[in-house]
Amino acid sequence: MRPEDERYFGRIEDRLDEALALASEAKAQGKDPETEIEIPVARDMADRVENILGIDGVAERVRELEEQMSREEAALELVNDFVEETVGDYDSREGKIDGAVRTAVALLTEGVVAAPIEGIDRVELLKNDDGTEFVNVYYAGPIRSAGGTAQALSVLVADYARSLLGIAEYKGRDDEIERYVEEIGLYDKETGLQYSPKDKETRFIAQNMPIMLDGEATGDEEVSGYRDLERVDTNSARGGMCLVMAEGIALKAPKIQRYTRQLDEVEWPWLQDLIDGTIGKESGSEETNDGSDVDSDESESETEADEEPETGDSEGPVRAEPATKFLRDLIAGRPVFGHPSEQGGFRLRYGRARNHGFATAGVHPATMHLIDDFLATGTQIKTERPGKAAGVVPVDSIDGPTVRLANGDVRRIDDPQEALEIRNGVEKIIDIGEYLVNFGEFIENNHALVPASYVYEWWTQDMEVAGANVQAMLDDPRMDLDDPTPDEAIEWATEYDCPLHPQYTYLWHDISVDEFLALADAIDSGEIVDGILAIERTDMTQQALEHLLVEHTATADALRIPEWRLVVRSLGMTESLRKSWTKADLSDRALTWDGGANAMEAVREVAPFELRERAPTRIGNRMGRPEKSEKRDLSPAVHTLFPIREAGGNQRSVGQASRQMDDKGRRGVFDLQVGMRECPSCGDHTYKSQCPDCGDHTEPYYECDDCGIECEPDESGRVLCPRCESEISSAVWQEVSVRAEYRGALESLGEREATFDILKGVKGLTSAHKIPEPMEKGVLRSKHGVSSFKDGTVRYDMTDLPVTAVRPEELDVTVDHFKELGYETDINGDRLIHDDQLIELKVQDIVLSDGAAEHMIRIANFVDELLTDYYDLPAFYEVNGRDDLVGELVFGMAPHTSAAVVGRVVGFTAAAVGYAHPYFHAAKRRNCDGDEDCVMLLMDGLLNFSKCYLPDKRGGSMDAPLVMSSRIDPSEIDDEAHNMDIVRQYPREFYEATLRMADPGEVEELIQIGEDTLGTDEQYRGFDHTHDTTNIHMGPSLSAYKTLGSMMDKMDAQLELARKLRAVDETDVAERVIEYHFLPDLIGNLRAFSRQKTRCLDCGEKYRRMPLTEECRECGGRVNLTVHQGSVNKYMDTAIEVADRFGCREYTKQRLAILEKSLESVFEDDTNKQSGIADFM
Amino acid sequence: MPSETPASVVQSLARHGYNAEREAVTLLARAPDPPEAIGAVLENISEETLRITVTDVRAVIDSAPIEDPPQEPPVEAQNTESNQATDADSPVETEGVTSKQPKRDDPTDSSAVDDAEEIDTSGNRRASDISLRSLSIANDMTGQSTGTGEYKQFVRTFRDRYERLSKLLRSRVNHRPTKAISKMPGGSEAELIGLVNDVRSTKGGHWLIELEDTTGTFPCLVTKDKNISELVNELLMDECIAVQGRLSDDAGIMFVDSLHFPDVPRTHRPSTADRHVQAALISDIHVGSQEFMAEAWHQFTDWLHSEEAQHVEYLLIAGDMVEGVGVYPNQDKELDIIDIYDQYEMFAEYLKEVPGDMEIVMIPGNHDAVRLAEPQPGFDDRLRDIMDIHDARIVSNPATVTIENVSVLMYHGVSLDEVIAELPEEKASYDESHKAMYHLLKKRHVAPQYGGRNRLAPETQDYLVIDNVPDIFHTGHVHKIGWGKYHNVLAVNSGCWQAQTDFQKSVNINPDSGYAPIVDLDTLNMTVRKFV
Repeated sequence: MRPEDERYFGRIEDRLDEALALASEAKAQGKDPETEIEIPVARDMADRVENILGIDGVAERVRELEEQMSREEAALELVNDFVEETVGDYDSREGKIDGAVRTAVALLTEGVVAAPIEGIDRVELLKNDDGTEFVNVYYAGPIRSAGGTAQALSVLVADYARSLLGIAEYKGRDDEIERYVEEIGLYDKETGLQYSPKDKETRFIAQNMPIMLDGEATGDEEVSGYRDLERVDTNSARGGMCLVMAEGIALKAPKIQRYTRQLDEVEWPWLQDLIDGTIGKESGSEETNDGSDVDSDESESETEADEEPETGDSEGPVRAEPATKFLRDLIAGRPVFGHPSEQGGFRLRYGRARNHGFATAGVHPATMHLIDDFLATGTQIKTERPGKAAGVVPVDSIDGPTVRLANGDVRRIDDPQEALEIRNGVEKIIDIGEYLVNFGEFIENNHALVPASYVYEWWTQDMEVAGANVQAMLDDPRMDLDDPTPDEAIEWATEYDCPLHPQYTYLWHDISVDEFLALADAIDSGEIVDGILAIERTDMTQQALEHLLVEHTATADALRIPEWRLVVRSLGMTESLRKSWTKADLSDRALTWDGGANAMEAVREVAPFELRERAPTRIGNRMGRPEKSEKRDLSPAVHTLFPIREAGGNQRSVGQASRQMDDKGRRGVFDLQVGMRECPSCGDHTYKSQCPDCGDHTEPYYECDDCGIECEPDESGRVLCPRCESEISSAVWQEVSVRAEYRGALESLGEREATFDILKGVKGLTSAHKIPEPMEKGVLRSKHGVSSFKDGTVRYDMTDLPVTAVRPEELDVTVDHFKELGYETDINGDRLIHDDQLIELKVQDIVLSDGAAEHMIRIANFVDELLTDYYDLPAFYEVNGRDDLVGELVFGMAPHTSAAVVGRVVGFTAAAVGYAHPYFHAAKRRNCDGDEDCVMLLMDGLLNFSKCYLPDKRGGSMDAPLVMSSRIDPSEIDDEAHNMDIVRQYPREFYEATLRMADPGEVEELIQIGEDTLGTDEQYRGFDHTHDTTNIHMGPSLSAYKTLGSMMDKMDAQLELARKLRAVDETDVAERVIEYHFLPDLIGNLRAFSRQKTRCLDCGEKYRRMPLTEECRECGGRVNLTVHQGSVNKYMDTAIEVADRFGCREYTKQRLAILEKSLESVFEDDTNKQSGIADFM
Repeated sequence: MPSETPASVVQSLARHGYNAEREAVTLLARAPDPPEAIGAVLENISEETLRITVTDVRAVIDSAPIEDPPQEPPVEAQNTESNQATDADSPVETEGVTSKQPKRDDPTDSSAVDDAEEIDTSGNRRASDISLRSLSIANDMTGQSTGTGEYKQFVRTFRDRYERLSKLLRSRVNHRPTKAISKMPGGSEAELIGLVNDVRSTKGGHWLIELEDTTGTFPCLVTKDKNISELVNELLMDECIAVQGRLSDDAGIMFVDSLHFPDVPRTHRPSTADRHVQAALISDIHVGSQEFMAEAWHQFTDWLHSEEAQHVEYLLIAGDMVEGVGVYPNQDKELDIIDIYDQYEMFAEYLKEVPGDMEIVMIPGNHDAVRLAEPQPGFDDRLRDIMDIHDARIVSNPATVTIENVSVLMYHGVSLDEVIAELPEEKASYDESHKAMYHLLKKRHVAPQYGGRNRLAPETQDYLVIDNVPDIFHTGHVHKIGWGKYHNVLAVNSGCWQAQTDFQKSVNINPDSGYAPIVDLDTLNMTVRKFV
């Protein structure tokens, strides 16, 4: 490690140590459930694995193995250790397999996610029909967070352990095998799978799987065919099992095979058939299952590299096959920006901007404004390729959109401000602009490269190859290589024999040969007036100019082109508009290129210089979910994890509860189920963590209800009564005075009730021991306007975005701040002097959104007051303005994980996102495709988090910081981040490889990616980018999706935009919105109506069916429906109107008409219908 | 597997200089031995013919060789022996039987009922005297839907259910309201009628049934050692049952000794027709589906024209006339006819093949273009106009049709799915769909369980209650044929006219396609005919 990196981590760890010291002192006072900080610091991955699993000795062994072999191999090697009992302390064979499987999953997920504890319920041994024993692994839903590879390997590990222990293979019964087939189909339909195996594949896997995969029921929907099987407990879909089978085994077969080959004990020869894809393809004619269209999509993307698309008899250009998957499940209010590969849609440009990479897409800020602000920094889009989804980042060093204004002007808009000014006058968005995707995305998605747009960074390399001294030209102050004059462009193209500069390379491939010929003829008879070319306006010439993206103005009968010289020259004409060729001079090949729909070959034949395709690849996409930057509140919000049952009303107000009088005339006294604890000093029993009498820390106390015996927990933490063997909990019903608690808290803090609006508690506690939180914490939270998550921490959610270089100025801090943080030079190695210098970001540094910063200040104030007033310790933060937050530490943590990562605040952004180094996001196991996760303030986590508050149910420990990583080891993060490219320029060979749609692996050597520096001194630096952007926040600050009010407003805007965008078919959008949003909503609500539950308006009691008493059986109150007519038919009229206005299919209209009839039939009285106005007269 | 593709049939015909109708080609391609069939057709058509029609082909490849139904039939039903089955290989001999294409619109002279053995040499059916027929409808709620989706209407519906079903049980137990029972002294004997509100198994393996009446609920415990504990498996939510038992010492719970369903009395004696007349009970035609079996349908309607079918004077269709639109996602990709009205038009065309002198009654099913919530009113005017064939009666689902004294409860059968899913396999399964129907008869309600798969639309009364015991209970929906007698009520679940769909394949359902159960209304004996 380089000394400066050591210094960097040293700084972070010093601050962390300060916080730990103070927090330890606070915890030692015994006011919390535990007397120590409950988030242990993990030095490395091995530590995390051990901490999460709680198996001693794993960390040491993992470190040992990691030196010699890959992580996957280590996971398999550990199986031996478990079997031989050198690791773990398991006597039973089930226990050994269990330990090995969990450890493998933990190891493969870098000890970050909750899957190893939550995703595997148990391992058990069952009997085959022949009497032999087999292994059954029982998965649960959270196995999802492990990802396909770890899921698949967990099965392999179980099998390896099985064979080492000499247990027989599982021999599935026929009905069990068919059950797998049906169940996976059901799960796919209900929940959706990334990969939907064909029935034959599932059957094949189930038949060959040497261990049984089983699991917990995760949904309500039940299989209808293979029910009530002896060895399958449930008739519902077992989500965990389905995931392991489909996304694990079926999808990751090649990966598993790599490891089965290394193991003598394990043989899975059948994997080969799975990999070859010979399963389920034997009889294609019968195979017409639901998944077939999914498969065809998949195979499209796989095979498109080899396919030379053929259009009739004519030759055509190399193009990627359009993929339609991203359009599925289109939602009202989330617009489509381009249909698949449609002209006018986003033009693919290769490159990585500094705020880019790792599942993001660079969009010009002018585009963001012109598409009515639907895209903002951090908005997710679902995309055609290379991945499925991406987070949008603003990049203004790429081409903006081209629009036609109401007055006929066609202009390219490269300035966001201009975009805002002209936005109301835009009639058509002819081209939505460029779309920056980095090379690493293609590696990560293993997507064949698709033809690159001809761009400046490619052209300069063509120039060099052509013999020009590009560096000298760059240094020449009279030249602007990026934006040359027409003369320069012509000179370079002809003198150097280099393809024409992209600035003047028009989209010849987007016009037809006929349009091309018509345009040439029109120019031939056009004239130049005051330096402006005027040609006749016909539909054809106008469309040709528009689609070429030639800026012009239109009058009633003329099209006037100010910058016409390269159009004319490209058409093989002189500047005096003389055309020296006729159609007959063009070759057949050119005339029939792509069936005559593409004039590229024609223009190449007549142009006096070489022309490259300006925008061969268009990428369709639509809006996914909006960006997020919001504090996380439970619903309803919670200030204190103290139970008050129903007494606080809907608001759960502790104050209200404390005043409620019971039938004995006492106020605020309730029977609460809370944990019984015992004071070790005085032996008193209390629910409090600190003995009210002597101030000592109390411990949970267990007593068997039936036998009255005091019990002790065993090693595994379970408490069994030694006499009746029933399980004992320390949580018992006790009489508690909420009033005394509340008043006491106010008194000890010296606060008055008026200092906060309301203190919200919870109905009841969901944790195992039901230990309530000291109410003082809640009082202070409420005072400072923050609320608590289920684990006692305060959280703020933000969409993740990557950034590898920043300017202090754009982060609203100064270069001095950066110097204080230990930054020394900018990306060019120059000393830091100016606020606008570009500085490479360090891996654990993060940028907070404005909202997050504001919330962190509140939390800091809350924590400080908690320290001073409750723990009697010095304040830690003393934050006055947000500048004071710079340099402070936070925890970053993603949902479904159990490990927090320490990050350091370096600045702020107006975008509603959390920008941080991609490695920081990867350490949390997130990428940036629209994912969101949270930050917590360090000291808040250390003081207030306790495992004792976590819900005692499946998934309860997900999203809780069971361990923290103090420093990021790049080799221990999600390896997706390693595929990000980190160079300043992509080589010419790369661009050329894209033209033949090469496999990304072919050019991987040419472009450095993160992986290449792993394990070297360079692993923390050198994250270069190819494209700059003026500011990491440009464009709208919030997506229109969030600023528009009702769903109707959003949908109107969506359809309006669909009309404006050339690349979008508005009828299809309307059709899809109806089909995927309105109809399911209407059908679902109508179904829900006719089988709904009811609820008492007065006491909240729910009834499965309307009670015959009519009134509430509990309280005599009014019972009412939970689904009303209004919520059932809210979209009916709109859907019918949209279907009509946008010319939807008759099929769709009829479905709506039938539904409308059904609604009438259910909600209208046949005998009392008013059919028209006449009825009222 | 088809031995010949339509294309090769066309080629083969073209070689001989013939053109052919599309349907004719399909027919030939599906023939057991297409080359043979083509040969036979070519031999039989006249020299002048240029275009081979369906009629030409049918004349050769005959319909309906009658086969045994695949199931072991219950004793009540009898298999038809193929007395008139023709041999497809000898077309010449079949001519007489198959030349029954011309529609019989004119009922011939009033031949006596017992003219059964009289053979009409032309092959035309001879209808009996129409004046002997009688047909009336009860419980039809078409046009009577007054529900507006309010809470109180739901309550009213359930109260009506409770009132009517509890009446059936009053003779067996002396009902005390739950409110009164809860105040009775511990240990006393008690009897209670209620809707099943909840069924749970206890830790000890006993069953706790919560029963509800209009005054409240009361918990009833069925201990596992009692022989009635077997019955608990049969319970569905919201059905009405009666229990007798003893209250616990604290009067907090009843220990159940006996449990009663409203049930059909064992003494039930069905009414029968006064003459030998038959009804065909079919359902689930699914016109518009790519799997609709037009050929089987043609054979069925051809058979109806035959002399053998001369006593079949009634046709009852228990729903799903058409495949519908939007019944499941992406259904349009599996439709043969995408337009819903065209589907009904086409259905009407197929219905025209049925002899014009037959009486037809139809109820809608879940694929039809009416509301899905039950009861489902009959079709609206637009659809009625389309299906304005043979003056068919279109009534609600469910409804009771009484034909010549015999009452037939027609119900499409969506609740059968739920009964089969909830009850143990030996009590109800798709392979024995009639057994699931027995349970509905026993519960005297066609769709008791609320909140699950069944959808309920609240109305002034619960139209789904089986107030009067029918003589025949006719359902469809599950596409499996099944029949049998339950306390002398003939329960018939008709098969369907749709071949196995991809969905059915994926969930392991093999439909019984192309069957028509034929009931003798004078004896309630049943015959199942297969038309494939």
